[in-house]
Amino acid sequence: MTTAHVTVDPDLCIGSAECVRILPSGFQIDEARGVSVPQPPASSADVDVLADVVRSCPTGAVRVVDAHGNAL
Amino acid sequence: MSDDGLLTEFTATIELDRYEDIRAALFDPNLSRSFDKRSYEDGNIRSGIVSIAHGATHRARRRVENTQFRADVLRLYERELFPKVMNDLLDVLIDSERVDLFPIGELLSVVLAARRAGIEYDASSLDDLRTLVRHVDAFSQGAAILDAKDPAAVRALVREAYAEFERQFVRPAAATRGALIERLRRGETAEDELPHDILTVLLLHREDPHMELADDARIVREVATYLQGGTHTSAQTLVNALDLVFATGDAHPVIIGRIAEDTLFAQRVVQETLRLRPTTPKMKRRAEADTEIAGRRVPKDALVVLDIVAANQDPRLFGAQPDQFDPDRAIDASVQRWGLSFGGGPHQCPGRAVGGGFPVPADFHADADHVFGLVALELQAVARRGVRPDPSAAPERDMRTARFTRWLHYPVRFDASRGSALRT
Repeated sequence: MTTAHVTVDPDLCIGSAECVRILPSGFQIDEARGVSVPQPPASSADVDVLADVVRSCPTGAVRVVDAHGNAL
Repeated sequence: MSDDGLLTEFTATIELDRYEDIRAALFDPNLSRSFDKRSYEDGNIRSGIVSIAHGATHRARRRVENTQFRADVLRLYERELFPKVMNDLLDVLIDSERVDLFPIGELLSVVLAARRAGIEYDASSLDDLRTLVRHVDAFSQGAAILDAKDPAAVRALVREAYAEFERQFVRPAAATRGALIERLRRGETAEDELPHDILTVLLLHREDPHMELADDARIVREVATYLQGGTHTSAQTLVNALDLVFATGDAHPVIIGRIAEDTLFAQRVVQETLRLRPTTPKMKRRAEADTEIAGRRVPKDALVVLDIVAANQDPRLFGAQPDQFDPDRAIDASVQRWGLSFGGGPHQCPGRAVGGGFPVPADFHADADHVFGLVALELQAVARRGVRPDPSAAPERDMRTARFTRWLHYPVRFDASRGSALRT
């Protein structure tokens, strides 16, 4: 299994929850702070799905670096 | 506290001016944007809107409304819809060598802001757009009422604007969308077929008690908030950007040339402008409960003033001479080029990427998915048309507010020979 490093920048996230919609097991909204927080299953998710998450974030807050060190 | 339970005076005033402290305050769930209802909420744009809602209502609204800020829609707007709309409008609005840029900026921005808000209007009608801009001006004064010099006059103006806005723009749109929602509930259409806008999702979810939207007037105010937020800040930022560029004196033609040639540079100019000229130079919060920020005790009902201008000029984070306009400046990796101008935490401006785009990559190379933001496109469009200062007419700041970043009029000149032919 490949492992990706998934982060959400809390200073950029507006809590639109696009990431939650695309990968519900991989992200959760922290309601008190209004931002998305990656969950452990995100790092082992399908790379194409993670790339979709990155592309769909409306603020560029999600970053994914794959097992080879490449940013998606 | 008054007899009716409204806050009439603060227990303390605490001003924060360090970047880290302000960031901590913005994320502190004990600090709200709810103030004295009589001076702040009642009868103006702030009454019951998402910007000042707190707790469950705020979360419910944001959960629904933020879905309308989608990356694919941002890209569609800035790559396909907006360039044509913008250039067609500029062809009409730049009708002489000398024009006032501020209303032009508002007219450019209101087209898409109205679309996202979900109101009924004719995007090709200058009359409709000018009427909307007039309302936006009233709503903007309402939004800044804490800094208004004549709050009573502002409240009266905003009440009148709401009534007209509701009748002409919101009610027709609500009727259309209400009928579509009825069809959805009868299983005759899919949710994806509904318009993608704020009014639609408010009507779709208004029965959720946490939304607190039973009152039609609240929906009108919420829609107006998005119209105003999407219009006024963009127009002010466009003007502030040019004001900073022109203030460079002899260097300004070179900077205008770079803006015209390089969209990512135009975006850096916009984000540098946002850092130096935040729409809300001093944000205010109220402590809903005793809390502590950066080691300072903040008692319940304290007013907390966040000096965004000072935070955005921290030399440790934004480099030497942080008060200077330098779109190419190197910044610390932990901060954004716009500093804290969009706020942070649960109340962060949801339309930040619409106007300002995504963060500019540190190596100044944008990938194919990059979002530049609409203001950068507006700035580039006027740069390509040869915008320059008007030496015979002075710009006029908006003196109705204490906010130094607001303009009423900004006369500029354009090269008569450079018009739409320079479009790309």
